[in-house]
Amino acid sequence: MHERLSFFVKRDSALHPLNPLTKIVLALGIILVSIFSPWYWTSHVLLLVVIVPLVFIGKVATEYFTSALRLILPAAGFIFFMQAFFQPIGQTVIFNFWFLDITQESLLFAFRIATRITVMISAFTLFLLTTHPSELMSDLTRRGLPPQFAYVIISTLQILPQMQAKAQTIIAAQRSRGLDTESTFFKRIGSVVPLVSPLVFGSLVEVEERAIAIEARGFTSKKAKTSLYEISDRSSDKFIRWGLVIFVIISIVLKLWLS
Amino acid sequence: MAFINLNNVTYKYPLTKTPALQNINLQVNEGEFVAIVGPNGAGKSTLCYTLAGFVPHFFKGEISGTVEVAGIDSSKSTLDKWVLNVGLAFQNPFNQISGAKYTVFEEIAFGLENTGVPRDEMKPRVEEAMKLTDISNLADRSPYSLSGGQQQRVALTSILVMRPKLLVLDEPTSQMDPIGTREVFGVIRKMAEGGMTVVMVEHKMEWIANFADRVVALKDGQVLMEGKPNEVLTSELLVENGFGVSRYTSTAREAKKQGLWKKEKLPVTLDEAVEGFKK
Ligand SMILES: Nc1ncnc2c1ncn2[C@@H]1O[C@H](COP(=O)(O)OP(=O)(O)OP(=O)(O)O)[C@@H](O)[C@H]1O
Ligand SMILES: [Mg+2]
Repeated sequence: MHERLSFFVKRDSALHPLNPLTKIVLALGIILVSIFSPWYWTSHVLLLVVIVPLVFIGKVATEYFTSALRLILPAAGFIFFMQAFFQPIGQTVIFNFWFLDITQESLLFAFRIATRITVMISAFTLFLLTTHPSELMSDLTRRGLPPQFAYVIISTLQILPQMQAKAQTIIAAQRSRGLDTESTFFKRIGSVVPLVSPLVFGSLVEVEERAIAIEARGFTSKKAKTSLYEISDRSSDKFIRWGLVIFVIISIVLKLWLS
Repeated sequence: MAFINLNNVTYKYPLTKTPALQNINLQVNEGEFVAIVGPNGAGKSTLCYTLAGFVPHFFKGEISGTVEVAGIDSSKSTLDKWVLNVGLAFQNPFNQISGAKYTVFEEIAFGLENTGVPRDEMKPRVEEAMKLTDISNLADRSPYSLSGGQQQRVALTSILVMRPKLLVLDEPTSQMDPIGTREVFGVIRKMAEGGMTVVMVEHKMEWIANFADRVVALKDGQVLMEGKPNEVLTSELLVENGFGVSRYTSTAREAKKQGLWKKEKLPVTLDEAVEGFKK
């Protein structure tokens, strides 16, 4: 069963009690600095000196390295090879395969891009692992994000796996009635059509019922909403956020200045 | 004056020709537990939506007559205010999960967050409600990982926690086993004794007979009959109109034809049946 629908893991760490916004800004800040900084080794340093220590500070090492192995490494590896082979830069050929040349320049470039991708996904993973989705939404709503908007985001995140499971059920049900979903491409395209209507029309009725259900629980109440969780926003949070903003600005300025 | 006052209510869904409710007159007192029975399409759910304010505020369509709960006229109120007095739980538990919460505890607190209940009041209220419906052990589970019957309990608890004056339930036990059904009926009875008014659509006749104060039989959008559970649920009129009846009632009715059932009154529950056959 979908016992865990979010990435969040509950731990008692120094990262978990940070304000959710601080953690978003942290992830975005790392991503932006790694994109904009003109220094070649920025992403590598960010990965080793910022992200890996944060993973341990946040006590989510097992979860992080599992997803690193399963998701981040394959993605980064793929990008590395694509860039190394197909980036038409540089003269210093160090390796030749059929009509493809690998130059020293393209290798260096590929290494940089792949590390940057690793940093981007890692920063985001770290954020998801240490931030409770409900707290995130409550905090953003409190800061003025319309609750309807917050609801759409969070319920979509939760309901997508449910839709997927349902699509599987419908496919199984249709197949047991003789529907062909496994032969040639065109036949399969044709056979998707009967799957669409139960999924969509089923969903429309569901949407109506769900709208009634949340309305019955005061979702559109004009009263000021409260939150089950106390979400702290200490001065250290603000300090971290402004610090990150400054880092990002410095990176952008350096980038503009040097190019 | 009665707590619920429906006066000549007729309602048509948009784009339909025949009304789903026709000339409904219904008075319910505070703290009364009324059960609604009727065949498919009788208008039971529509009546629930009407009491809960979703007809006409959500479904639109044409309504005439007056709907009053706690002295307030529904047409003069708005849905967001109406739901503070009237709680609604319905059949499909999956669609009642907000989808915005990751644990059962948070799910139940959702209504309290929306209506601005202070945090220190929220936790004890959620805990108390979960204890009442016996789901405290599910607090940290994901609502999606539960069985249908457990989800129905969560849906009911999510409404009870808001402490409505009127509780409207549309087949809230359809996915529960007999033990679960009995427990939930017990909880609802207790709420009614505590002063909450309850209107509940239910097919399980034995349980209605055991727990409800009054039964209203609906057919084709009209009130066919109303009265004491035993009177209504054993009436010939229900059989003639294609209502489902309790197996004890139908057994005793057959037995009566053969001269094996001696009593005037037919039974609805097992106890009544045993009692009657003993004589
Ligand atoms: N959203 C809607 N739009 C149009 N007509 C509707 C809508 N919902 C219900 N109806 C119609 O209104 C009538 C009463 O339906 P209602 O759902 O109230 O019956 P019910 O007694 O709850 O039936 P069931 O036992 O199947 O739940 C039916 O004829 C139905 O087709
Ligand atoms: Mg119904």
